Amino acid sequence: MQDARAEISGGLSVRLLAKDFGRRRILKDVAFDLAAGEVAALLGPSGVGKSTLLALIAGLDDDFDGRIMRPPGRLAMVFQTPRLLPWRTLAENIALVPGAGGLSRARDLLAEVGLAEAADTHPERASLGMQRRAALARALAVRPSLMLMDEPLVSLDPAGAAAMRALVAQALARSGAAALIATHDRREALTLADRILEIGVPGGDPTGFPARLLADRVSPLDRAARTDPDAVEALHGAWFVAQPAAPE
Amino acid sequence: MSGEALAALLWPALSLAGFALVWALAAAAVQSDVLPGPLAVLAAARLAVSDGYFFHLGMTLLRVAAAFAISMSIGAAIGLFMGMSPAADRAFGGWLTLFLNLPALVTIILCYVWFGLTEVAAIAAVAVNKIPNVAAMLREGGRALSRDLAEMAQVYEFGWRARMRHVVLPQLAPFFAAAARNGLALVWKIVLVVELLGRPNGVGFQLSMHFQLFDVASILAYALGFVLVVQTIELAILQPWERRAARWRR
Repeated sequence: MQDARAEISGGLSVRLLAKDFGRRRILKDVAFDLAAGEVAALLGPSGVGKSTLLALIAGLDDDFDGRIMRPPGRLAMVFQTPRLLPWRTLAENIALVPGAGGLSRARDLLAEVGLAEAADTHPERASLGMQRRAALARALAVRPSLMLMDEPLVSLDPAGAAAMRALVAQALARSGAAALIATHDRREALTLADRILEIGVPGGDPTGFPARLLADRVSPLDRAARTDPDAVEALHGAWFVAQPAAPE
Repeated sequence: MSGEALAALLWPALSLAGFALVWALAAAAVQSDVLPGPLAVLAAARLAVSDGYFFHLGMTLLRVAAAFAISMSIGAAIGLFMGMSPAADRAFGGWLTLFLNLPALVTIILCYVWFGLTEVAAIAAVAVNKIPNVAAMLREGGRALSRDLAEMAQVYEFGWRARMRHVVLPQLAPFFAAAARNGLALVWKIVLVVELLGRPNGVGFQLSMHFQLFDVASILAYALGFVLVVQTIELAILQPWERRAARWRR
């Protein structure tokens, strides 16, 4: 009945019992609900199965045990690689998404992420940071009810990452979509999310499987407070250094 | 015209002029009807023009166009299906190898035997020769399709048409271009054989006529006209299209 409740409330409901690749169990017992507009970070080390979980939630892979209910409305996903069509310009990449509303809106969205000048550039001629921002603009273009982001800041230089972090925070605040951001970076998670879902292998063996949901904590920092690096650092110290999430 | 473009035209022109010169010298040295010089071939071409030269060239072109269109569409469909479905690839991979290695002459003879000396048999014979090549090429294209982009299109709810037009076909463009290029070269050659064996018109038919008369000048006149048409299609259609398809590349 919880699933139905999540659907009615316009949120996401995940009740994953198990996900296997071949004979190896990758994920086990991951259950959480996300309310409409709630921003959660999916925090865990690289290779633990975060991208796999996002693919399950996105419906890209339906080979698993359990139940996942997405909120009604459009889904948007910002992939770890930007996944833009290399043979279309940045503006075209946004405009040709069904429901994105044409080229002029695409240009407006690109301008919002600081790419007004690059709208007619092909992706391969743009930097990774620019491609990421264009992918973010594409996600916003469909006015999603659920936004999935896979390591949106990874492999950007510090300045690019800071700019992208600000854009993501701003975009999420304005879109009102429920969002799940996969990241391996604790500070990034604390900066962006209302709530931190930690997945990993109990006992902390980074090479072991399967990973589970280890902790589900609501951040005491609100959107404004999170922009202060000192507050983030203090919370990081309190949560991850002083009393790390105990496995069960 | 820029100097660079001029130079790009100048070298092939010089090279071809050199070829004509060598040819003329050889013809002058041999002094025989079996190796006419460039001027004799030109004269023969002029004579042939009044004797339906363009009609025969046109008939051949029509057959090439028909066989090319049929083999590209059927071959692409088969190739993509095999490239995207490992089961189909396992089931029909052997067939493809078989047809790839079937001599052109065998299919031509069989088509004429089974379907009679008709236009349909002629075009089918050419298409059957070409389809396996296109299929093999496009199978690689189907295998190389990006899963990342397919997932993107799925998440963003692209319709079937948008998926084809914006996601799938651009990825296949280089494979289509390669198939078209190889295909045209193959179709040209096989069409002539098909015409020679069982058609009452076309360049291949004219070649066999003039062969029976040992009229080498006319044979060369048809051959040169043919080369000219092929080159024009290559320069005017294929190359600009390939450039356009690759313009987004860094």
